[in-house]
Amino acid sequence: MNRRQIVKGMAATVGGMLVLPAWASAWNTASLQGFQSKLSLADQALLAEIVEAIIPETDTPGAKKLEVHRFVDKIITDCYDQKSRTAYLKGLSAVETMATQSYSKPYASCTPKQRLEVLTTMSKSADADDQNFIRIARSLTIRGYLSSEYVMTKLMGYEMAPGRYYGCVPVKS
Amino acid sequence: MANLNTDAIKSRTFDAIVIGSGMSGGWAAKELTGKGLKTLVLERGREVKHVVDYPTAQLHPWELPNRGQMRYGVNEANPVVSKCYAFGEATEQFFVKDAEHPYVQEKPFDWIRGYQTGGKSLLWARQTQRWSAFDFEGPARDGFAVDWPIRYDDLAPWYSYVEKFAGISGNRDGLPQLPDGEFLPPHEMNCVEQYFSESMAKAYGGARPIIIGRCAHITKPEPIHLEQGRSRCAQRTLCERGCPLGGYFSSNASTLPWAAKTGKMTLRPHSVVHSIIYDEKKQKAVGVRVIDSNTKEMEEYFAKIIFVNAAALNTNLILLNSTSNRFPNGLGNDSGLLGKFVAFHNYRAGINAEYEGYLDKTTEGKRPNSAYIPRFRNLLKQETDFLRGYAAGFGAYRGQSDNRSGWGEDLKTGILKPKLDDHWGVGSHMMGETIPKESNYVALDKDQRDPWGIPQLRISVDYDENDVKMTKDFFEQMTEMYTKAGFKNIRTYDSNRTPGLDIHEMGGVRMGRDPKTSLLNGWNQLHQCKNVFVTDGACMTSTSTQNPSLTYMAFTARAADYAVSELKKKNL
Repeated sequence: MNRRQIVKGMAATVGGMLVLPAWASAWNTASLQGFQSKLSLADQALLAEIVEAIIPETDTPGAKKLEVHRFVDKIITDCYDQKSRTAYLKGLSAVETMATQSYSKPYASCTPKQRLEVLTTMSKSADADDQNFIRIARSLTIRGYLSSEYVMTKLMGYEMAPGRYYGCVPVKS
Repeated sequence: MANLNTDAIKSRTFDAIVIGSGMSGGWAAKELTGKGLKTLVLERGREVKHVVDYPTAQLHPWELPNRGQMRYGVNEANPVVSKCYAFGEATEQFFVKDAEHPYVQEKPFDWIRGYQTGGKSLLWARQTQRWSAFDFEGPARDGFAVDWPIRYDDLAPWYSYVEKFAGISGNRDGLPQLPDGEFLPPHEMNCVEQYFSESMAKAYGGARPIIIGRCAHITKPEPIHLEQGRSRCAQRTLCERGCPLGGYFSSNASTLPWAAKTGKMTLRPHSVVHSIIYDEKKQKAVGVRVIDSNTKEMEEYFAKIIFVNAAALNTNLILLNSTSNRFPNGLGNDSGLLGKFVAFHNYRAGINAEYEGYLDKTTEGKRPNSAYIPRFRNLLKQETDFLRGYAAGFGAYRGQSDNRSGWGEDLKTGILKPKLDDHWGVGSHMMGETIPKESNYVALDKDQRDPWGIPQLRISVDYDENDVKMTKDFFEQMTEMYTKAGFKNIRTYDSNRTPGLDIHEMGGVRMGRDPKTSLLNGWNQLHQCKNVFVTDGACMTSTSTQNPSLTYMAFTARAADYAVSELKKKNL
């Protein structure tokens, strides 16, 4: 099959996608809508600052704007056992405690550099719970960020239905 | 009252009853209705309509409730089905809940079930390789099981028949051990798969071909596919959620709507078949007993012919539970072999490696398929200390990795700019033939019943020494091949996975020539109850190595054609 044939085939596929019935678009509700956090408002705000410290806004949105904190919260609520959920709450308060001890102010009032410092210090802490909290928060933040609609569609070239497979293409330099 | 009764019986009387609406039941429904028979299709699960009942099919990753992660407790509550590679947040609706459908594991057996219209045809891996002459001659040549009552030539036209309708993509490779079919354009092998194929052709003089898999995807629709309302596969590789395009073959997308269009099909979901009713005077089956899974009421339905397509082990269960004075041990079971000689595919082994060639090349897009290594062991003659052989899936991919070591902006840059690996990954998994044995069996449990009052199935199926030797040979031969190809960092694994997880359980109601040693004849008819046909995995005399669904489809179309011609001759 040559490239032109495949491109032609793709056009046919796109045509096929367009005739999907109207209800198809009605499914497009973001997964985080309707999620009711069990965290206090303060803890929700704290978590938002934590994910933002891990992946900050630059010339593209950071984790907070992409609601990654709500993703992290939802996964811990829905997909983890009670023990892990308790450890998660404890981890959040440990972040606040560490900020107060190190900088005499709440985490949210720390500078971006200080906020990162709190997280990296905890990640190397002698306390296994602290380490564990940061490990989970970090990996869920990365996952929530990379699986967000913005990052997938605007930054990573996501295509749901490529309609093609080329087995041998030159690596773009 | 008498009239009412007669009317009630009339309304429950059909020309044909098909038990099961999955891969083979869908075909039975299509063929029988297509030949004008008023057909009742019984499905024990809920109704799943094409497209409208695929709730996750159009969801982007960020739209899945937990973006692909399972809710806490689901896997824990479903220790069997959650082992299946296809089970996940986007597909769980097509698997049974373990606790709702109990069975007895005399030996560990992962029984993967999808109870809904279309059954597991929504979830299958869609590989469709034909059997060859070597495969049907296997038991006779190597002296195991019993001789198949048919040969490849008997089935070949029916393979063609079902392939044209289902839509099978493949390359015409001209291999006697894996006959070509009616192919739509093939998928492409990538550079490293192509390289492996060419270097093995040189190394083994053509005795170990590596080809692109044949699969049930519409790569270029023919009019018959468009007429089914199906279109070209969009290569989303989200198949197990159900395909809104009908890009791959499922009963839901293809055979069932086709049967419905005839106006001859009545599909009854929530209908758990208890047993087949045998009439001692007429000396044939006259209907089935059905338990409505909602009301738990039993009803009887009547027909001239019955196709049993409940999926291999449930077909065994129904026949075992169909007892009468004439057949106290299960319908058609004078031989006492019903439920015995169950076999499966040995999928426990794999081998991965790396290749450092073609580093200036990568792949683009997605492919719902992989390369395939047809069986080469013991193919033309017995050459090892174990019987039969294995096919293997093969795939190469150019992986990429991101840098997650940093924090903040460094981390952001690291994960947004993944780098291609400095090698290609290659992997292969074994698909081994297992030898049917009397000691691998299913039976009715004497005490335990399911929620509908039907005896639970007791499963006793295990690997044997032949499987262990074959697994070892797979490692040796594939290591040799990988080494000859210059692959590095070769790693073998034996998952020791439990039988059943291959989802290729077969046999128990095997075909054969002699009623003393088999249950079904060469037309998939019970030797001793000729108006009952079994054309799902239960009929398999041996397993060969190919993914079996295509063969069930061909058996079903062939048997349905025969059944209707026998009906017309008034032989049934």
